[in-house]
This record gives sequence, C-alpha cells and structure tokens, in this order.
Amino acid sequence: MTSSVDRSLDDELQGIRQGIREGRFPARAFNDQQIYDLEQDRLFSRAWCFLAHESEIPAPGDYVTRYIGNNNIIVARTEHGDISANLNMCRHRGNMLCKSEMGNASHFRCSYHGWTYKNSGELIGVPYMKEGYEGRLKRKEWGLVNVRVDSYAGLVFGCLDPDAPSLEEYLGGFQFYLDFYLKQGGEGSEVHGPPDHWVAETDWKICAENFAGDGYHTPVAHQWGFNLGYFPSSGSTHSQGWAASIPGLGHGIGLGHSPNFPPFGGFPDDLAERMKASFTPEQVEVFSQVRTAVGTVFPNLSFLMQPFSLVPGESGVRFVTMRLYHPVGPGRMEMYSWCLVPKDASQEYKDEAYRAYTLAFGQAGTFEQDDFENWTKVTRAAGSTMVKNVDFPYIMGMESERDKDFPGPGHVVRPYVNDTNFRNLWSRWADYLVGEV
Amino acid sequence: MATTTQVDLETRMSLQDFLYREALALDERRFRDWLEYLADDIRYEVPVRVTREALADWELTPTSRIFDDTKATLEVRVQRLETDFAWAEQPPSRTRHFVTNVVVDPGDVENEYLVQSNCFIYRSRGDEPTPSFYSLFRKDTVRRTSTAPGWEIARRWAAFDQSLINAHNMSIFI
Ligand SMILES: [Fe+2]
Repeated sequence: MTSSVDRSLDDELQGIRQGIREGRFPARAFNDQQIYDLEQDRLFSRAWCFLAHESEIPAPGDYVTRYIGNNNIIVARTEHGDISANLNMCRHRGNMLCKSEMGNASHFRCSYHGWTYKNSGELIGVPYMKEGYEGRLKRKEWGLVNVRVDSYAGLVFGCLDPDAPSLEEYLGGFQFYLDFYLKQGGEGSEVHGPPDHWVAETDWKICAENFAGDGYHTPVAHQWGFNLGYFPSSGSTHSQGWAASIPGLGHGIGLGHSPNFPPFGGFPDDLAERMKASFTPEQVEVFSQVRTAVGTVFPNLSFLMQPFSLVPGESGVRFVTMRLYHPVGPGRMEMYSWCLVPKDASQEYKDEAYRAYTLAFGQAGTFEQDDFENWTKVTRAAGSTMVKNVDFPYIMGMESERDKDFPGPGHVVRPYVNDTNFRNLWSRWADYLVGEV
Repeated sequence: MATTTQVDLETRMSLQDFLYREALALDERRFRDWLEYLADDIRYEVPVRVTREALADWELTPTSRIFDDTKATLEVRVQRLETDFAWAEQPPSRTRHFVTNVVVDPGDVENEYLVQSNCFIYRSRGDEPTPSFYSLFRKDTVRRTSTAPGWEIARRWAAFDQSLINAHNMSIFI
C-alpha cells in the first residue's frame, strides 16, 4: 500500500537526487520522520551494515548484541570459530533472548517458555516437546532468524537483503584506504576495549558526512586545538590533501596533509617499519603523506586516524577511532565509539594511543564534545518548519579534475577541503531511498 | 570494607567538607581552583559500563574509559575551557554536583583515605527546559597535605550508573 504522502515523497526524492548532482542537499533530510522511516525500509534493510570487530569476540561463545536498523542482533563466535548473526528474538513468542551487550554463551535459553538455541541459531531445546507438540514441531524449521554476514580485515558486517552483492563488491576498492586503520603494525588492529556508547539528539547522517572527509570544519570547530598547538596542523596549510571516494558506492575518505609532518609520524619507528612492510608500495606512498585520515564506509561506519600531542607543536601520538552511528529516530542516534590499536604494538604505545583517543574523541573527548554540540544544533534547525524547502550548498570541487597521478583507487581530487565525497555519499543514499540499488 | 567506621569524626567531617568545596569549585566554574584540589600524581578515571548478565565477572570494563586523565591532561582540558573556542561549553553548562552517602575508610598508605560517595549531577544547557541527570558512584583516594586546604585527591574513580549515557557529550567534570 502506498499512500499519497509516500508518492509525493518519492517524487521529492527524485528531485533531491537531481539536486545532489547539481551540488544541493535538503536540510530537512537531517531531521524528518518520513525520511527516517524510508531509511529503515530501504537503506538499513538492504545495505551491508557494520556489526562488530572480530577482536570483540575472539573466543568460541563470545558474543555482542548490536543493531541493523531497528533490529537487535546477536553476533556470536560459534563453537567452530566462525561468526554467526541472528535476530535477538525467540521464535516461539518473540521474547528477547539475550539481554546483555556482551558475554560468553554456548547457547541462549528464552526466559519465557524456555526454548533453547545454540549461539549459531539452531533450535536445540523445546520444553514439553512430546507432551505439548505431539511430534508436530520440527526443530529445524524454528531456528533464530539468521542474518547474512561477511567480514573484511576484522570488520564483521551483516546484510538483511539476500540479493545484495558480496561485501567485497559493496566495498568496491575502499579496502585500500581501510587498511590504514585495520592493518596497523604487522598483525593488524584490535579494539582497545568495549566502545563508548551514548545517545545524542543528532541525525546519524551529519556524522557520516563529517567523517567522510570534512576537513573544512576542523580549523573552526576544533580551533582550540590549533590555537594551543595540540593538533599538529596549521590554518594556513590545513586545506592541503586529498578527497578520495568510490564513485557510485558512497564510501569516501579525506586525507589531510601537513607539509612538515613526518611520514608515519606519531607512530613508534619499529611499528611504522612493520606497517610499511605489510602495505603495498602504493599504500605506503599514499599513507606516508597523510596526517589525518577520516573516512566513512557507507552508510554509517566511520574511522579517523590523527595525531594528538600533549607537547604543543610536536607530532604527538597517532590514534585510530572507529565509530558507528545507530539511528534510533529522526534526528536521534546512539553513538558507538571504539579505539583501535595495533595488535603487535608495545603496551606503552597502546596506552598512549588510548590516552590520546580519550582526550580527543569518545564521549568526553575534546574534539568530540565540540562536534556533538554543533551537530545537535544542526539537527534541531533541520526539524523546523521554515527549513522544509531550504537546501545546503555542496558545490566545492564541482569542477575539480581527477588527480591522475594519485596512486590510490577511486575518484581522487584536491584539495582536502572539498564536497566531492559528500555528493557521492548523498547520491548513494538517494539511490537506496528511491529503491534503485 | 569495614561495616562500621574506623575513622574519627573530625577527619570524616573534614573530608566531607573538602568534597563539598571541590564540588562548589566545579559548579562555580572555578576550574583553576579545582585543579588545586587535585594531587600532581592524580589518576582521574571514569570507566565505561557495559550491560552484562548478573553473574558476569565485570560490568565496568577494566580497559575502556570515558575519562582517562592525569594532572597534565586535566590541565589541557581546563586550558581549553579558557579559550573562546570550547564550543561544547558555549554557552556553559549549569551544573550542580550533589555529593552524598560519604563513607570514609583508612587508605592503603598512611595519610590516605578511601572516600566513597554518591554523586548526582544536574546539568542544564542554554534555554533547554529539560535538564540532564547523571548518577555516579565515586571511589576517591584522598591524601592529607600540610598546606591548605589540607587534602588533595590522589585518585578519582567515578562510574556512571547508566551503560547508555544520555548526554550528547561529557564536557563537564565529575
Ligand atoms: Fe570534528
């Protein structure tokens, strides 16, 4: 059933799509019930959505509970060592099976009528099976609702659409850039611990856009860091660098460059050497020129690597944060924020990187604090009636030539301060919302 | 923890008064004064809470921290608040720290006390009619000093009672 409101929204979305190509995006998209509903139906139920990092569930039985759209999902390491994701709902009468955010369990037993499942989702126990069901219930048919999963370099994704292309195809070359966050050191990255988790009156899309490479906001939104010298970039050179995006797929990354920042600066030397040895020559060439790498995997997973220094003017220490923006209503989200550290780094560096992360990001992080203050205000304005027909300009880099000498994949333009990644992000979003993916 | 007090009334009163004055410095935004209440070797920690089963070995993570600070990093935070660009506190949060249920026990070292307390924080932002509330449990180590105010906090450990925290940011101190 399609209501007249829905039909007019579909027409409107075609207009939004055209607007994005011309460098406009509507403000109302950042706080709108109809858009939110459509995102649940057509985007989060079809895209590959991030569930967990493999290092969060290293041993058989380990599990975390996460969301895809508004669906609560148990992500577990099975007794065979593989990862299984299932809807956190008993198939008998729908009670929530697992009420904790993480733990270890070989099976889950429903607290309502006692149906019991392996952590892989198979139904193994039904009370009064003989007396009650008299042989009519086939356990095989009543396992948990399973979610398709796939992973890349420790990132576990789930997809509710059985017909969606593979994760590899979905990422479409963005892996080249993700490796900078996920393959730190010789043995890859791991989470430092469970994520910070908080709610904010902020639309998830504002965060997704900001982390798709918004180098433009940094000198103003985080001006204190520049002024006091804790963030090793300078206003006069901050626009330098690249914006790289995977055309048609929505993923994008901003690569900020500082002329005086040493290659792989902020990492211990031995770690940097192991990293260089594990990356391809093209990756080494790109990453050695990068001070800040800030990217979004469409739709709602982001990463940031940047240095923070307690000694003003020095390179400081590099840290990596991974974040998931979980929409829980129009203009409202839950934030998950992790720190990723290189598995084979010294404990000293891991602690230092984590300290830098908590000082800059996470709920009390000094950069994060200012971002969320701005973002809640954007969200509030986007929900006001006068904004219904107001667009924002997305015209930076409209005419930019592709940087043909750049060794990384995708559509790469200069400078770092650019809207190119955002046009790509929003056109992918619009493709999903009109149902053309 | 002892079931009855092993600390004399005068010490307990003095420590309580110290915590109240410390809270007052925060609520009056006298952050430089507040730093004076903290030892140079302070560890200031707010662990991340995770919802777990009743029998799980921990609910407060041993590894994740919302705040994981030293005196040096707290000074950076205060220095930041003194600039014109700490947007998170523009306009400033209006806070009220309610410190109750103060329980004092002898510490591991002479002249140190383990001071446990409940801390309820009221936070009002701008013209928003709905304030935020945070309930925390604090376990501080407080050290006697020879100079005024006679005490310094050697360790602040404070845990939120929520695992999913209802604040867009944590730009205030606990
Ligand atoms: Fe930011």
